[in-house]
Amino acid sequence: MGVTCVCQVPVAEGKSVQQTVDILHKKLEQLGAVKQGNFCVDCETYQSTVNAGGQPSKLLYVMHNSEFPLSCLALFEGGPCLVADTNFDVLMVKLKTHFQNAKGHKVECRGSRYRYCDFLIKVGTVTMSSSVRGISVEVEYCPCVVPGDCWNLMKEFMLSFLGNNVPELPTVFAAKPEGLFAPADSVDTMTQYLELFNKLRKLQITGSNVH
Amino acid sequence: MSGGPAVRISIESSCEKQVQEVGLDGLETYVPPLSMSQNLAKLAQRIDFSQGSDSEENGVDSEPRDGEWGKQEPEEEEDTVKFQPSLWPWDSVRNNLRSSLTEMCVLYDVLSVVKEKKYMALDPVSQDPTAGKTPQVFQLMSKKKSLATAAQLLLKGAEKLSKSVAENQENRRQRDFNTELLRLRSQWKLRKVGDKILGDLSYRSAGSLFPHHGTFEVIKNTDIDLDKKIPEDYCPLDVQIPSDLEGSAYIKVSIQKQSPDIGDLGTVNLFRRPQKNKPGTPWHIKLEAAQNVLLCKEIFAQLSREAVQIKSQIPHIVVKNQIISQPFPGLQLSISLCHCTGDKKINRSSPEKPKPDDHLYVLEHNLHQMIREFHKQQLSSVVMPHPASAPFGHKRLRLAGPMAYDKAEISSLQQSEGLLEKIIKQAKHIFLRSRTARTIDCLASRIEDPQIQAHWSNINDVYESSVKVLITSHGYEQICKSIQLQLNIGVEQIRVVHRDGRAITLSHQEQELQDFLLSQVPRLRL
Repeated sequence: MGVTCVCQVPVAEGKSVQQTVDILHKKLEQLGAVKQGNFCVDCETYQSTVNAGGQPSKLLYVMHNSEFPLSCLALFEGGPCLVADTNFDVLMVKLKTHFQNAKGHKVECRGSRYRYCDFLIKVGTVTMSSSVRGISVEVEYCPCVVPGDCWNLMKEFMLSFLGNNVPELPTVFAAKPEGLFAPADSVDTMTQYLELFNKLRKLQITGSNVH
Repeated sequence: MSGGPAVRISIESSCEKQVQEVGLDGLETYVPPLSMSQNLAKLAQRIDFSQGSDSEENGVDSEPRDGEWGKQEPEEEEDTVKFQPSLWPWDSVRNNLRSSLTEMCVLYDVLSVVKEKKYMALDPVSQDPTAGKTPQVFQLMSKKKSLATAAQLLLKGAEKLSKSVAENQENRRQRDFNTELLRLRSQWKLRKVGDKILGDLSYRSAGSLFPHHGTFEVIKNTDIDLDKKIPEDYCPLDVQIPSDLEGSAYIKVSIQKQSPDIGDLGTVNLFRRPQKNKPGTPWHIKLEAAQNVLLCKEIFAQLSREAVQIKSQIPHIVVKNQIISQPFPGLQLSISLCHCTGDKKINRSSPEKPKPDDHLYVLEHNLHQMIREFHKQQLSSVVMPHPASAPFGHKRLRLAGPMAYDKAEISSLQQSEGLLEKIIKQAKHIFLRSRTARTIDCLASRIEDPQIQAHWSNINDVYESSVKVLITSHGYEQICKSIQLQLNIGVEQIRVVHRDGRAITLSHQEQELQDFLLSQVPRLRL
């Protein structure tokens, strides 16, 4: 468990998504990172069928992360978040009448996982219904749980292989109170992924709201 | 007498009235004399009711009594309004008279009841003619006699009790079959099959999966000659243990330097103590020894199974009752099951004498501990989930979902190491630790100029120990404190941490450690 930062890397000019990913891999290997398998983060959207008043129904996102193989996260955007066992998926099936699965909106991010001393770097391609939407990079600094303490270190590390694409402090951490009482955990990671997925989803679909 | 006419002498009392005061004009004021009633009151107060009534006082008594009754009504009201005993002198008189009246009434009532002879009767109290008249010596003698009778009774009772207690003890020493059986049952599991009594000495109920049945039979010891004296250790109950669990066994773990030829393997290791298997051994000793043999067999079976199944870089050799593996090059770890049944003669002519320091008792103890832990794990909720609807798996793993455990945490919860791997790791660590100690001591005795000190930590793990090495100069210990090395000895490597935080990992090679320490020595001189 550590502090994670998820950011998007724009596709290099004149190159395809795969080539950009390969460039990143090469940079990491030059740095001295060791490849340690693959990872997968996916997100399914559920829409509540019960409409309270005239408000648009809230969307429930159920996400999985191969880093937490036995867990499943369910969150509303900007709202409460639940960390549960993998049996939660079965529960969602049973709640079919209340939550409709928007099957076309499943987003996945797959890629390889690198380890460099205390850092874990995951470079993945975001796909939605088998169309590639972008590249995501997740950097995790394992020893620390307080984002404020290690942000500078992470930023410097990301600078070494991401170059100009270094992001700012993620909003999830900026909103949190300082100190050990609000350690970074899996919820923050998945919230960042959700933000990234939603951003990438909106990119291609112009104008209309996501259903 | 003759003389003149009688002279009239008039006697006059002196002035009765006392002078209260003399006025300024010479007028005398007299104290008013007591009136008749006041006089009466004064006299009444002087009556002493405790004395018996005499004829003299009768007259005196009756008068105040009469006067009293007459005065009672008017003065009672006065009394009840303000009760001041000094104002009413008749109060004590009245109380005394009232109490005497009460007593008289009671006496009268008693006498009238007694006269009827229906509810009360008068009986003369038997007068003891000797009471008060008997001499003290007689009294003493009578007391003595009565005490003696009481003492006799008590002694008789105590004798009866002590006799019964002695009988009980005698019975216990006799140890009849049923009491022995009761004792056996309180410690071991017994069941009755037909007309035989069988018991179970295996660890199956404690979680073992060893397929041995471990059944022993309880038999009555009837080969006793009643004419002869019963021997001290005679026991009417005897147990018959399975033939393959006879004798005693232990697991010998030893680390040897040179690896012997393959041809030498297979010799039965010597036993460290001969087994005295007298026929008269009490049943609990027999049963415990048999259980120990069973446990050793289980440990060895588990180890040999793992040695064959688990693939490692250097394969383990399993020959007869020995498992040989190589933790480090040039080193050999041998685990053997030594079982002496007592029938076979110990082969004294074998050249391999058991070296007392060869056997690592710690590892043997650890093996026993680990197999018991394994048993406990079998019984835990991993196999039998509690409650019955719970999922299989480790209890902590249930938290893995909601707490979002990552792979490292999950794998730390699931133990996947076998018994053999664990014991090999422990043996490696023990060997590395002893060799490190030897190296440091060797160097310390060889080098005189800067002194090398080693402080070993008392608290260590089966897989990790630590030592702090200080290199100081004589007389300058407080000044030059720069060389302090913390050595963490692990399973295969030694990690050295300098005082300033630099960390170096050394391999298990002895020479590496020696070179490293030698390189630290001249640093002090700078």
